[in-house]
Amino acid sequence: MKKILAILLAGMMTATALAGCGDGQTSGDSSNPDSSGTGDAPGLAELDAEGFVDAAELGDETGATIKVWAPDAAVNLTQKMCDAFAEHYADKNISISVVAQGEKDAATQAQSDVDAAADVFGFASDQLDNLINSGVIAECAYTDNVIAMNTEESVKAGTVNDKLYYYPETTNGYFLVYDKSVVSDEKAQKFEDVLAACKDAGKRFIMDAGDGYYSCIFTFTGGVTIDGYADEEQTVQNFVDYDEDTAVATLQAFAQLIKDYKGTFTSLSVDKIASGFADGSCGAGIDGIWDIESDSEKLGENFGATKLPTINVNGEDKAMISMYGYKALGVKSTTKYPLTSAALALYLTGENCQRQRAEQIQWGPTNKTVTEEDVVKNSAALSASVEQSKNSVAQVHITSTFWDPMANLGNQIIADEWDPSNADKTKELLTATIKNIKDE
Amino acid sequence: MIKSYKLRRHLANGFIYLLLAVLGIIWISPFVYLVMHSFRAEGVTTVAYLIPHEWTIQNYIDLFTGAGGTAQLNFPRWFMNTFVVAIFSCIISTISVLMVSYAFSRLRFKARKKFMNVGMILGMFPGFMTMIAIYYLLKAMGLTQTLVALVICYSCGAGLGFQISKGFFDTIPRALDEAATIDGATKNQIFWRIILPMSKPIVVYTVLTSFIGPWTDFILAKIIMLDSRDNYTVAIGLQLMQDQQFKNTYYKQFLAGSVVVAVPISILFLILQRYYVEGVTGGAVKG
Amino acid sequence: MTFVEYKQLNPFQRFAYNFKKTVISAPKAIANFFKAIGMAIVKFFVGIGKGLKNYGTTFVKGDWATKLSYIILGVGDLSKGKYYKGILYFLTEVLYVLFMMFFGWTYISKFGTLGTVKSHIEYVGRAPKTVLGDNSMLILLYSVLTIVITVIFLAVYISNINDAYKHQLMRAEGKKPSTIREDVRDFLDGKYHITLLSFPTLMIGVFNILPLIFMILIAFTTYNKINLPPANLFTWCGFQNFGDVLDVLGGSLKATTFIELTKWTLIWALFATFTNYILGMIVALMINKKGIKFKSLWRTLFVLAIAVPQFVSLLLMNQILQTDGALNILLGYFMGGNPHIQFLNSTPLMARVTVIIVNCWVGIPYTILSMSGILMNIPEDLYESARIDGAGPMKTFTSITLPYMLFVTTPQLITQFVGNINNFNVIYLLTNGGPTTENFYQAGYTDILVTWLFKLTMNSQDYNLAAAIGILVFIVCATLSLIVYNNSKSMKDEEAFS
Repeated sequence: MKKILAILLAGMMTATALAGCGDGQTSGDSSNPDSSGTGDAPGLAELDAEGFVDAAELGDETGATIKVWAPDAAVNLTQKMCDAFAEHYADKNISISVVAQGEKDAATQAQSDVDAAADVFGFASDQLDNLINSGVIAECAYTDNVIAMNTEESVKAGTVNDKLYYYPETTNGYFLVYDKSVVSDEKAQKFEDVLAACKDAGKRFIMDAGDGYYSCIFTFTGGVTIDGYADEEQTVQNFVDYDEDTAVATLQAFAQLIKDYKGTFTSLSVDKIASGFADGSCGAGIDGIWDIESDSEKLGENFGATKLPTINVNGEDKAMISMYGYKALGVKSTTKYPLTSAALALYLTGENCQRQRAEQIQWGPTNKTVTEEDVVKNSAALSASVEQSKNSVAQVHITSTFWDPMANLGNQIIADEWDPSNADKTKELLTATIKNIKDE
Repeated sequence: MIKSYKLRRHLANGFIYLLLAVLGIIWISPFVYLVMHSFRAEGVTTVAYLIPHEWTIQNYIDLFTGAGGTAQLNFPRWFMNTFVVAIFSCIISTISVLMVSYAFSRLRFKARKKFMNVGMILGMFPGFMTMIAIYYLLKAMGLTQTLVALVICYSCGAGLGFQISKGFFDTIPRALDEAATIDGATKNQIFWRIILPMSKPIVVYTVLTSFIGPWTDFILAKIIMLDSRDNYTVAIGLQLMQDQQFKNTYYKQFLAGSVVVAVPISILFLILQRYYVEGVTGGAVKG
Repeated sequence: MTFVEYKQLNPFQRFAYNFKKTVISAPKAIANFFKAIGMAIVKFFVGIGKGLKNYGTTFVKGDWATKLSYIILGVGDLSKGKYYKGILYFLTEVLYVLFMMFFGWTYISKFGTLGTVKSHIEYVGRAPKTVLGDNSMLILLYSVLTIVITVIFLAVYISNINDAYKHQLMRAEGKKPSTIREDVRDFLDGKYHITLLSFPTLMIGVFNILPLIFMILIAFTTYNKINLPPANLFTWCGFQNFGDVLDVLGGSLKATTFIELTKWTLIWALFATFTNYILGMIVALMINKKGIKFKSLWRTLFVLAIAVPQFVSLLLMNQILQTDGALNILLGYFMGGNPHIQFLNSTPLMARVTVIIVNCWVGIPYTILSMSGILMNIPEDLYESARIDGAGPMKTFTSITLPYMLFVTTPQLITQFVGNINNFNVIYLLTNGGPTTENFYQAGYTDILVTWLFKLTMNSQDYNLAAAIGILVFIVCATLSLIVYNNSKSMKDEEAFS
């Protein structure tokens, strides 16, 4: 009998614990999927000098408690900004807590339990589709403002089916970093020169060619770029029409250079770049914006950064095309305080806050005004980031099948036994890779 | 003849000593490497040589004070969390395992074999497949992002690991039970007063294995804790330090943290090794 | 044939004997296994039939209280003076009804469709807010919970009727129902197994079996990344996911991957198990050899590898094996120049061999610990007679130690084999599936089925596909071990020591 009682008690506990939950989640009898209320865009909102919207935009939401997810490096700064926000609307009695959560996992975490997710969360743009598919992210409530303030590319990356979802915050990608005592600013413009300079100095060039995030440079530069999905279900990657000969020639050019500079070109994870700068074994590398602080700390005055160099394919210098993403804020679709959260997200990604982040934690802005300011121009890394984002494919609408085959392509090309002069083999690899990405 | 036999034995033993020494070095050297580099002062992540050039205990100080980086990491707290979870889950696990194995070993009842078969195959379903379900069951009880949830998760399936201790109980002669029954003892009394006192090795074995579990799990704990860093365990905390955004700053602290986690468990293991061997041997012969 | 008899055969006879035994017993074992499952199912339905019959006859023969117990639980017991049990029965019913009213019914009523109400968006001022509809995942999970609780309630219900009838008969015979004190004593003695097993069973039921049923059901739904809850609904789709995985003739990438990974998983499990087993035994023999000193020191060196958590030791190994990792540096000292060998990321063969070797490093200490004691139990006279026959150490090992150990520890071997099929840590932490290839779907050359499954759930959220694969793996493992266990020596002679 004990057993039965125990089970029933447990069941009962469950029942009471869930009673509240269940009520909240079963929606009314409305089976109409159309949106109710005013669905049409309310247009541009007035912002004051500091980037706050009028208090009326917050509606009758008072006493809001809002959770914000920010990556560790930005937690303190974000908390300060949020405090300023709460103070500005003092009579609304808003309390905001900023919780550390890396952008990489944000979407997964938010999906696994929407209730526990933050009301305003920072995430990386490649997770946008998942967030939309699972309905975790709400549409942007200040579309016109975001479009007016931010660069075209950053807005485009957040737009799906003509609807803007996120509030762009910063650029997120990789570019060339180098030791100025090894590679001069001038030589950093050409891949051949970079490798030659490293070889002369007996130092390594580091790039993580075994990761699809970086190795896609090899195909993108040859014109094999991606453009959204090929199907409604978002499972098949769509490639733009490309000239196969150019693509193969570019792959061969990369493979040849890598072979010529065997020992100089090394494929290692990007964290080895900072280590390499520290112990003097690395001359240059392709590194992400998140490592800039440690890179520049190790090199000091000699730290250089610029957009990715060009590569010579059949006599023509081609700019390397990379994958470039954005970090953005999203508002949780089920938040209790949609107006306050939207206003907060707009404020946090506004001109004022983007400038503060650029100055204090070296985040490259997406705001048009800040992009043109001295804070970017005086920083090699920030301007490299802005420049590279122009030579890039946006890191959005990418199928999960993209990364592994692309990593494999990188691994094959840099392998010792790979023969760069074999065009047929290269073509075969390219075809197999694309086939595998498309899961055919 | 005798002399050459002796000589041969000496030679053979010498060869075995040599082999054991070589193998021992192979087995231990990764940990020596780990400990050495946790005291390394220079470099960012890995370095191109085996022995650090400069030594420091700064990594350990940073680890415990949370200094040396911008991240919100709280290793001492994680260590305490794990310790508490390990203590509780090891108590519950040990009790359940002993109860189940005693029942299967000593008591005869209907459906005993069926229970044992079901128990054996249940553990064979890839565990992390069920994690979403476990998460939402815990959520229904309002326990997600708490240490209690971890204790439940780590100890709930303990009863399924009955094989070894059942095997051990099987080796205890039944005549003891029978004598006690004639003296009027109940099964309950036999369990507590006769079987348990004789089962020190298997109790120690169970305690050890269930104590280690929480220190090593890095998947389930993360799913349950989500963004609640204050309730992290060392395993997910150390995993976090390996994240791309932290690796350059926290790599050496990660090494130090690994040492801090490994040392107490190793000491425990070394002290209780004898019982572990006895327990597992008794259990395996009959398992 | 006993072990001693077996030992007296010559190698050829032994081989013939073993071969014959395996060939003869394999189909029989498999047949028996399925027969047993069949019998269990038949028994189950016969039991239900019998139960229904009893249900009717008891009602006819029952007095008013027993009859009332069919609707209000516990009345029978209460009327016969068995108060505490009657109250418990009654409370059970109340709790169950409350549970169904406030929780269970909401979900179980949607079990057939897994929800129909879609989420929709409402506007609050300028901001959109999603009003959630049905959550298919929660409907599925909590329906399973409700079904399990209902089954338990039915069991209580039947036992209530039986109990009421039993007490009715007892009263007719003029007996008194047992007191609480007597019942407690019974639960500590005759029914002690119920006392012991109820708590662990409850825990296992809620946190192992229930999630397992949920996962198994997922394999029959369309729960993947395009139907993610809470915004979207998923629904039942029959055996379609199994079709996708097993569509070998269609030659789809997923099916090829499944076949190739299954092959490698089996090879891996075989090698991982036997290298650990045999090498571990040899090391254990060396440590325990007579005349070898510092036994505990040697053992300690190996045991450390167990004490360090795997995610630390394997991540460490991963870094040591990188092209500029410690092992290459060390080789560089001997060879004069870092050879930059790619242990984990060049050819499939190299990576697979490396993984198996590293697994030895992880696993051999376990074998040493668990085998030492058994090795010491091998009858000394077996070795004695071998020595007299002039057998060398190699010969002694292959013809005495190994057969004896195999004889005694077959169940362990099977457990380890199954454990290796599901050995997530070593592959995931060491290679994460690499080297990469363009020929597999979302997997590399060292990926085994479980790590593939993990990638499918974590990277591409193909929950349904992963669940289907999980079920296939599970069926293979479970069948294999049930057959071996129930035919193994130690299972048959369970009472041998007592």
